[in-house]
Amino acid sequence: MTGGEGDMRDEIGDDELEAQLRQLAADREAVPAELLAAAVDAFTWRDPDAELAALVFDSLVDQDATTLVRGGQERLFSFRAGQRSVDLEVTVTGAWRTLIGQVTPSRSAEVSIRHRGGIVSTYADELGRFRAEHVAPGPVSLRLNASEPTETGLITDWVSI
Amino acid sequence: MAAGIDPRRVVSAAAGGDETAWRTLVGEYSGLVWSVIRAFRLDGADAADVFQTTWLRLAEHISRIKDPDRVVAWLATVARRECLQNIKVGRRTVSTGDMSTFEVVPPVRGLVADEDPTAEAILAAEQERQDAARSAALWDAFEALSGRCRELLRVLMASPPPSYADVAAALDMPVGSIGPTRARCLGRLRAGLAERIRGDLAPS
Repeated sequence: MTGGEGDMRDEIGDDELEAQLRQLAADREAVPAELLAAAVDAFTWRDPDAELAALVFDSLVDQDATTLVRGGQERLFSFRAGQRSVDLEVTVTGAWRTLIGQVTPSRSAEVSIRHRGGIVSTYADELGRFRAEHVAPGPVSLRLNASEPTETGLITDWVSI
Repeated sequence: MAAGIDPRRVVSAAAGGDETAWRTLVGEYSGLVWSVIRAFRLDGADAADVFQTTWLRLAEHISRIKDPDRVVAWLATVARRECLQNIKVGRRTVSTGDMSTFEVVPPVRGLVADEDPTAEAILAAEQERQDAARSAALWDAFEALSGRCRELLRVLMASPPPSYADVAAALDMPVGSIGPTRARCLGRLRAGLAERIRGDLAPS
């Protein structure tokens, strides 16, 4: 910066300029209060007793030829915890999302779909298949309730759909 | 560089179910998560989805996080990935009804005195007008930056100031390149600001 005609007030250091930007961002683009409230609220959704099935596949990120063939609007997710997994296909239906899923190893189970609109409950049949409509767009996580006393519940990572 | 909380202690307390510790995490690190979202220019429902998903993800992972010292980098990484996925999927249509909840209420500057303005008050008002004009020019110059520069500066603008290691996680950049890139981008910003200030002063 060698231009000598600059305004005196603007001959400030990088740290000062960055501090001014930080102040501007705080004034003009603060974190919306309702989002802070939602972040505080996130803690109440915690389920530390359940086993967490981690996201291991997202067609959007890991798309390969197999999923490309399907084309269209679906997005596929896979979640896994040890031997148990949940596969999920999400389609956009107007303002809502439709979920079709498969629990492995296949078994019947109560499935709670936790989303911004609350909880949608459905059942996986004896082949482990389930379906839910009218799920709100935004963050979603599934919970498989334990079907036997020896089993723990299973929750999936939150994903945004 | 980030101010004063001990992430290891707070994460461990939150993992044990301490809601106050969770609030501390939200209070301390929301600024960075939000800055990442704004760096990718997401707003409205898209911004809300990413922000909320990031915190829900942490809430579920809090007792399973391997290295609590890196919780901020963990959050920044999740936020970045969610932003990129959100952009890939394509923006959701946002109704005006939804948008209204995201309006930021400007801070009230104090009450206007109802007496005759003194010379001092006039000078103060003039100074305030100039400061506001400079702020507007600075913001405009920032918004006009392209690509990596705008992204980097927007993340650095988080309150409290993030460490370079966390900025590196947020933008998937080598930590060593942040200092030099920052210097170059602030240089560009200065040029843009000077241009705008000259433009304002030029006779129309």
